[in-house]
Formats: sequence, structure tokens, C-alpha cells
Amino acid sequence: MKPSITIGKSELRIDAKDKVTGKAVYPSDIYLDNMVYGYTIRSTMPHAEIKVDKIEALAYPGVIAVFTAEDVTGENHHGVLFKDHEVFCSKKVRRVGEPIAFVVADTMDTARKAAKLVKVAYNELPAVLDPREAMKENSPKVHGDSNIIYHYKLRTGDIEEAFQKCEVVVENTYESSMVDHAFLQPEAGVAYIEEDGTVTIVTATQYPHYDREEVAEALGLPHNKIKILTSAVGGAFGGREDITVQIHLALAALKLGRPVKTTYTREESFQAHSKRHPLYMKYKTGALKDGTLYAMEAEIIGDSGAHASWAINVLRKAGVHAAGPYCIPNIKIDSYAVYTNNPFTGAMRGFGAAQVPMAHEQQIDEIARRLNINPIEIRLKNCFKVGSLTATGQTLEESVPLTDTIIKAAKEIGYEFSYDSNEEVQP
Amino acid sequence: MNEQIRFNLNGKDMEIQADPSMRLIDLLRDELRLTGTKEGCGEGECGACTVIIDGITANSCLVLISQIRDKKVTTIEALEQEALKKGDELHPIQQAFIDAGAVQCGFCTPGMVLSAKALLDHNSSPDENEIKRSISGNLCRCTGYKKIEKAIQIASDYMKKDGVE
Repeated sequence: MKPSITIGKSELRIDAKDKVTGKAVYPSDIYLDNMVYGYTIRSTMPHAEIKVDKIEALAYPGVIAVFTAEDVTGENHHGVLFKDHEVFCSKKVRRVGEPIAFVVADTMDTARKAAKLVKVAYNELPAVLDPREAMKENSPKVHGDSNIIYHYKLRTGDIEEAFQKCEVVVENTYESSMVDHAFLQPEAGVAYIEEDGTVTIVTATQYPHYDREEVAEALGLPHNKIKILTSAVGGAFGGREDITVQIHLALAALKLGRPVKTTYTREESFQAHSKRHPLYMKYKTGALKDGTLYAMEAEIIGDSGAHASWAINVLRKAGVHAAGPYCIPNIKIDSYAVYTNNPFTGAMRGFGAAQVPMAHEQQIDEIARRLNINPIEIRLKNCFKVGSLTATGQTLEESVPLTDTIIKAAKEIGYEFSYDSNEEVQP
Repeated sequence: MNEQIRFNLNGKDMEIQADPSMRLIDLLRDELRLTGTKEGCGEGECGACTVIIDGITANSCLVLISQIRDKKVTTIEALEQEALKKGDELHPIQQAFIDAGAVQCGFCTPGMVLSAKALLDHNSSPDENEIKRSISGNLCRCTGYKKIEKAIQIASDYMKKDGVE
């Protein structure tokens, strides 16, 4: 066999030179002839019926157009799993920051000033801001008849009987917060029409192929008339998986026949893209007298905000990982993704797996404390090894270096413990 | 109202007619098309728009062009010119950032490189704390700080070898 020319060798990244010299082109670095600038008007209410009056803004010197829902040439929607975002809100806003109109003017400054002249009349509706409330039958509904987007169930063993046998049972609730990706480069993009009529959008995206479908459907054009060019991407971390600038720019370029650019401020960026799901986690964990983790029950409720985005994938993953890397023979896990009128949540580094450790690990610490067992030793006793069966029914057949990792980490931080592999819970 | 403003940009004397309340970053990017200077927050938090003014780093989103009269402004584009004069492709700081793997999304990179330059121009052998302090006004959301610190350390060695002190 020939030796590998790549593995084991450190490669210089292909774009590094452009990035250290400042020559890498991010979308806001693009300037084209005859270009005009767009600014997005966004909802200031979490839940309201709206009426939009753009007459005064259209009369403002330098304004070229104000696009709203009625101007969308195809389907007024987008969304990675469900089409539950509107390109521009038509009748109702469902969260603060939802796009209502796109003001296009000869300069960005003019577009911003004219945006203040677009009158949005709000008829405020009751909003639901807590997903636990949103699950109730009488709660205000964000879309359709129910706010529950998804329910994941995991069952192994007999949870009721198992808790009876436990020496200690620890019950706690945990809440994780909403987090923004805060990638350093705020959303921006440029759209223009090529000679053959193709609508080209240059933007920093994680999903050019999805974006093309979404833009084509919203514009009512075939896929081959839409081209997405991915510029340098100034960080993303999941926050560039949903549509932000793409359709607004494409629609404006199509209607005006001119290049259109937009660059969000940091504040607009916070309003435009998804967040990390806050999770409400109710845990009940039980262990036998010798420290064997024996039963675990968890209810995890994820706040999806006003749009589903990747809610199903995120709450499924939260449920799958809820028991942590431990052998627990009796499991009952329910995780839910729920609509509210909060900012919407979606993909962010870990996709739901990052939130649950704060719950399952603190549960183990509390069990260790009550049983007077060393917290490192209880983990070594119960953690996955080669041959372990996970709560989801997978047998881990190879490469489970968790024992070594825990031992090494504990030694590095100078935490005293003793380890006897004979005391491990057998897979 | 426009005013005449004289300053030195990357070694070149400039004389412009412009609104003195224009932000320096807008002059650099929108008027002069020096787009290596990035805008991340517009309020002096992130340091992506870092430039060097008379040897000291500044957030160009917080500087009005009336404040740069008769001053020397250095942007990321100057480093290449400096390297070319020596017959090199890249400035040693830029090379060090590549060699240390300190470049990820790249949006903080020009600002980081300039903060490193402002440090190394005054202090050819900074210690770890001095390096950390020099980039304390620059955020890297990819969280590559360790490699950036390493890059500045390597750059210091390169520059001493080069005699660029």
C-alpha cells in the first residue's frame, strides 16, 4: 500500500493567505456598479396582527422600492424542515425581529432613514413566552392548533420497579439559557441578475444547496435560474443554516434588475438568525447502594421560538444524549420541541447534545454525595466501555476511551480517587 | 459639510474632501475600498476593525475622520507593501499566523495581526501576558486564542531573525 500523502501531515489551509492579508472576500466586501442597498424592517412585537403602509417611505428621496409580502413572486415562505417562516410577514408577526419589509434605496443610510417612514400598525395578540405554558391546551397558538412540534420517547426496562430498588433517588430541574452564535461577521450579501437571467446571490451561508431551493420556491423560478455563491464565511456555528438575506436580496434584484446589497448591523444579526434552544430539564435519577446507576427519568422541553428550524433534530439529539455516557438499564425519556413567540432557535454547536450534560452530570454528583462515593469513582464505575449497551439499544463495539479520559482528566486536575476495574458495572 | 482632511495612509500622504463626521471604517471601506478592515459590531467591542493610528491600535468604527488629521493610519493592506519591499510575499506576522494555524473564519484576523504589529513594533520580545494584553481588544468567536498567542510568539522570533526590530 502506498503511504498516505495527507494523513499524518499538517496541511496549510487554502484560504489562510487571503485571510491574513485582508484579501478574502466576505459578502460585505463586494461593491458593484449601479448597486443599490436594502434594509430590513422587522417586527417589534412578539405576537400581533399587522398592517403595513409604505406610501410615505416610497416618496422619500433616494428610495427605489419597498418590498412586502404582496410583492413576493412565488411562495411567501421558507424553512429547513417546515415552511413556517414567511419571507415577509403577511398578516401576523410571531416574534420580535421577523421581517416585514425590505426598503431599497441608493445608499444604505437612505434605506435606514426611509425605513422609519414605513408605518406598521400592530394589533397586539396574547403571546406565549414559556414553552411549558405553550404546551397547555388553552395557550395562545403560534402556528396551527398545537404548539408541540415534536415528541421523542425513549423507553428501556421498567422504570417504576427500578426506582423501588434504588438506595437513592435524586430529583432536580435544570434550565439552560438561550445563546447566540455571535459569529464575528454579521450577515451580508449581494444579489444580481446575470445576462441569461440567472439570479445570483453571493452570501456567507452554510447551505448553498438548500438556499437555492428556498430562493427558487420563493421567487417562483426553476432551480437552474438561481445561483448561490458562497463567499468567505466569517463564522457560523449553525447560525447560518436558516435563510436570512438570501430571498430578500434575490427578490429585489429580480424586480429592479440591479445589483442589491445588504449588510446587517450586529443588532440586526441578533434579530435575524436562530439561537441555541433553551432547555427545561426535569430529571429523576436513581442508584443502588454500591453506586450502580439503575434508573433515570427525564422530561426535556425545548423552546423552539416562533419557527421550527431544526427543532426535531435538536430535541431528538437532546433525548438520545439525556442519559449521558453511562450504562443505565432502566430509562424513560421524553423530549419535546415547542413553539413560542420567542426568538427562534435552531442549530448551534452540539445540536441539543451540549445542554443535557449540565443535568445528567449534576445528578451524578448529587448521587455520589448522598452515597458518600467519590464522584470520579462513580463515573468510572458506570461509564460506557467497549461492549456497553446504550439506552437507545446500540452496542458500543470499539473505541470507547472514556475510562482513560476520565482518569487522565482527574489526574491533571489533581483529584484524588482510586480505580479498580473489577468494580465496574459489567457491560 | 465636507472639509479638507490631510493624513498619512499606509505610508502615503492623502488629502481628501469629506464629511468630518464620517467614521474612519467607512472611509477605508466604502470610499477607498480597503476592505481588509472588517466591521463586526460597530461599537468598539470586537476589534475586527482595528487599525493603527500613530503606533497605537484603535477601533476604526469609533474614530471619526476629523480625528485622523495629520496622523499616520496603518491598515492590514500596509503589511503586504512592507513585505514586498523586503522581497517577501508576506509580513512575518502574517506568515506566523499561517504557520501557527491561527486562522479560522478569518474575520478577526486582520485586526489580530494589527494588534500583534502594534505590540511587536514596540516590544520585540513580549512575554505571554503582554501578548494576551495586546489582543485583549480583539474577539475571536471561533475561539482560536491559544493559536493566535502562539502565532504572535512565533512572529516575534521571525522578526528578530529578520532583523525587523
